[in-house]
Amino acid sequence: MNTTPPDWNAYLAQMESVLGVELDDARRAELQLQFSRIASMAAPLMALPLDDRQEIAGVYKA
Amino acid sequence: MTLHEMSISAIQKALGTGELSAGEIARQTLDAITRINPQLNAWTAITAERMLAEAENIDTLRREKRPLPPLAGIPYAVKNLFDVAGHTTLAGAELFSQRPAAAADSFAVRQLRSAGGLLSGMVNMDAYAYGFTTENSHYGATHNPHDLKRIAGGSSGGSAAAVAAGLVHFSLGTDTNGSIRVPASLCGIYGLKPTFGRLSRSGSHPFVASLDHIGPFARRVSDLASVYDALQGRDSSDSFQADSSREQTRPLLDRGLDGLRCAVLGGYFSTWCDADARAAVARVAKALDAHDELLFPDAELARSAAFIISASEGGNQYLPALRSKPARFEPHSRERLLAGAMIPSAWYIQAQRFRAHARQAFKTLFSHTDVLIAPATPRSATLIGEQTMEINGQPLPVRASMGMLTQPISFLGLPVTTVPLRTAHGAPIGLQLIAAPFNEQACLRVARVLEACGITDARPAEIAQ
Repeated sequence: MNTTPPDWNAYLAQMESVLGVELDDARRAELQLQFSRIASMAAPLMALPLDDRQEIAGVYKA
Repeated sequence: MTLHEMSISAIQKALGTGELSAGEIARQTLDAITRINPQLNAWTAITAERMLAEAENIDTLRREKRPLPPLAGIPYAVKNLFDVAGHTTLAGAELFSQRPAAAADSFAVRQLRSAGGLLSGMVNMDAYAYGFTTENSHYGATHNPHDLKRIAGGSSGGSAAAVAAGLVHFSLGTDTNGSIRVPASLCGIYGLKPTFGRLSRSGSHPFVASLDHIGPFARRVSDLASVYDALQGRDSSDSFQADSSREQTRPLLDRGLDGLRCAVLGGYFSTWCDADARAAVARVAKALDAHDELLFPDAELARSAAFIISASEGGNQYLPALRSKPARFEPHSRERLLAGAMIPSAWYIQAQRFRAHARQAFKTLFSHTDVLIAPATPRSATLIGEQTMEINGQPLPVRASMGMLTQPISFLGLPVTTVPLRTAHGAPIGLQLIAAPFNEQACLRVARVLEACGITDARPAEIAQ
């Protein structure tokens, strides 16, 4: 397993291009801040082992 | 007796005996909104003409001595993301302000219209329903009726303030991560977030299709139940609506606790709140004989997963406009939405799979209890403009964290009634009463017990004119 910390700024720069978004430096800095918050929430979630038959959630059945 | 002192059933009786007419109710309501709303900034549009016409329809039924529908003559307001025919649906966003008017009412508004309700107008919210404070940069902040310097909560802040000020008997809001329960808590009223999929959302502007719910606010449990009963109905145009039968909860309220077991939801929920919220939980637990404390160990992960799903679906929905019209976005949300649009799909899918896993895990708690008690907000309302609050010794951003105790529960899609208590200083603070899927009647019955024994307090705020 690759344990090198991701370079999120490089990832976001790629995504700017992939999604066709134009940003100035101030907006890019705010985007990096917002994304880093989400990334910190995603880390423990991604570390959680789920059963390989676990499907995504649907609506409740009465 | 003034209008706000009368329950829905009291108004029904007064209409039946001729003590009141629907026209008088509409005119009194419109007059009060005109006087009080400038201090609250709750209404973004007032539908006076429609309200008076709806009232005239009710008065025609009265004159002809025909039966009145269940919400006849009852004034209400809706969050401005519900379609109302002839009005632009704003969803709190300047971005939508130039859109054409809605051609038809949303499903929920149609249900309320056929039940005889009188629509007073549309009310303020956080832009796109993305926030917990209703500090809207374009339409202004909505003020808490109990302390005008404080936030009303969000994102359905206008809906809660309108009811808490005593200006309408009920209102509609939506709840993706806490947007009914947070403002109900901070404004001191009852709120109901039904089971995910119970009520049709069609004709409301979506934020996160996987998590969006609609529901009512009211100052009385019987009123809340009556409105919830009227909102139910099968609607094939909402593909997320569950295939459940209608339940009429209003007739069940007087059953009390008969057969219902209550317990406190501890751990994460008692850690991330202040002493006022803990005292409110202890008071309710004592009144309900709820001695057991149960745990949901994955609560923090559930909050994170809800955050990822919300950011991802919301970000994707707004991506075209983020590309083409970034200057027209709410500055508090723009880069948060854009960050969501850039989330790797693996995170989003893991969050959705975890949701199914967490639902199964939480279900086991309901073999020990029927209703779980937890704070709805970490504390009472903060000041408008206040950026951070200290909870559990940590500074937390208000805008994102006021819903940290509601997010894990809506992630699971469970029905919740929020009940209003007061802190030692008199500030409103609400608790969540959480039940198993499709067991709305259980949390409404417990709310009614607390109301009947005087534990809850939803008296309207007195606002100087």
